[in-house]
Amino acid sequence: MEIGLGLGILGAAVATLLAGIGSAIGIGIAGQSSAGVISEDPDKFGLTIVLTALPGTQGIYGLIMGFLILFRTGIMGGEILALTTPQGLGLLFAALPIGFVGWYSAIYQGKAAAASIQMIAKRPEEFGKAMIYPVMVETYAVFALLMSIMIFMFLPF
Amino acid sequence: MDNDRYAYAVGRIRAMETSLLDRGKIERMVEASGAEEALKVLGESEYAEYIASLASVYDYETMLDQVLHRVYRELRRFAPDPELVGLFACRYDYHNLKVLFKAYKMGEERDELLVRDVGNIPLTVLQRAVHDDDYRSLPRAMRDAAKQIAEALRLEANPQLVDLLLDRAMFTEMVEISQQFDSPFLHDYLAFQIDLLNVKTYLRVKRANLSREFLEQALLPLGRLDLTKLVQLADPPEVLADRLLSSSYASFMEEAIQSFQKTDTLTRFEKLVDDFLLEHVKKAKYVAFGLEPLAAFILAKENEVKLIRIIMVGKINRLPVEEIKERLRDVYV
Repeated sequence: MEIGLGLGILGAAVATLLAGIGSAIGIGIAGQSSAGVISEDPDKFGLTIVLTALPGTQGIYGLIMGFLILFRTGIMGGEILALTTPQGLGLLFAALPIGFVGWYSAIYQGKAAAASIQMIAKRPEEFGKAMIYPVMVETYAVFALLMSIMIFMFLPF
Repeated sequence: MDNDRYAYAVGRIRAMETSLLDRGKIERMVEASGAEEALKVLGESEYAEYIASLASVYDYETMLDQVLHRVYRELRRFAPDPELVGLFACRYDYHNLKVLFKAYKMGEERDELLVRDVGNIPLTVLQRAVHDDDYRSLPRAMRDAAKQIAEALRLEANPQLVDLLLDRAMFTEMVEISQQFDSPFLHDYLAFQIDLLNVKTYLRVKRANLSREFLEQALLPLGRLDLTKLVQLADPPEVLADRLLSSSYASFMEEAIQSFQKTDTLTRFEKLVDDFLLEHVKKAKYVAFGLEPLAAFILAKENEVKLIRIIMVGKINRLPVEEIKERLRDVYV
């Protein structure tokens, strides 16, 4: 196997890996706060589940990027490309924005979501407002995914 | 990152806070036409289950004991640091020890004052310790104070000394436990409490015309104010208010000291102190990950119990509504 192909596969792994770790931690934090609220007030399950799921999107973005890269290399069916080292590096670099931004934004989104969940415990009628703060973190994960896809699309091969 | 482990506990506390009594309910209790009516208003809250089993309105203290017992039990169960709950629970051990010393050594049997199942140390252990004069099973600060008291009580029965030494040991232990937490909220709270207790002691000593030596002995260490340096006993009380103008207590000290001078009682002073401390405790509302909301919940619940007690005592003694209102404290929610 050429080193270029290896680097491309590494890119797919990195995108899924880092963003996935972030989402797991983020949902973990939000989930704990939800469990705390639900143990006192089970009726709030419906509201808390939405907020708890929010930090999960980064992991999905990472997975999408990972698939895109794998398809491009041809190892998932089709003809395996003989990538040069610079081409493989290009794929790896395309993975980095969503990998790193996904990782950190998911953790901080999880914290914001947990705080909103705590707010919902006291003021369920303000669910809409509580939702906005963690969603704002999402912006930067979307930007990162956008940049990852741009790099991926404009790679010259 | 480390404080993330509080995510569950704070979520749970926020949900529990919704059952704290709000100002409206407290006011309706005060406006109620009698003790029965006040209890009925209270029955619209989570207190309903306790009220159902009350023999009579005079029995409200057992209800308040049960409430405290439950708060401490629940928090011990889910607090990431049970020592935090222990920090507040140890106050009940010291309280019980005071009652026991007075019962066994001075013959003042006041069993109804004992608080069961809240403190860190089982009541039977404390009872045995005082009864056998053997304090080895107690924590260090408490043991040292207890030995000293037992020693002194052999010479003369002095209830004041019991309170003094045990208060000092209690704050020593509380400050010691609080050192393991990196929480300015907690450290400030304890320092404020010690300082304000010292100001109260100063005013009392002044009113009773006691000596400077007595004052020095009665003041608690570990606070942030050094009252003996700040004022002389001969100074009029306004001087103290002036000297505290640049301290954290400036906002209410002038009014507190004025009311003391005017009425010669500390009722208003104590109310203002409690409100000031509660205002500090309210900062925990803005903490999403940390021990602060847990500590605040304990203090808020204790404040609520105090409010109910003030109202019930007032209602049972048929005090006018205005008079009860004067004594009422702020609420946390």
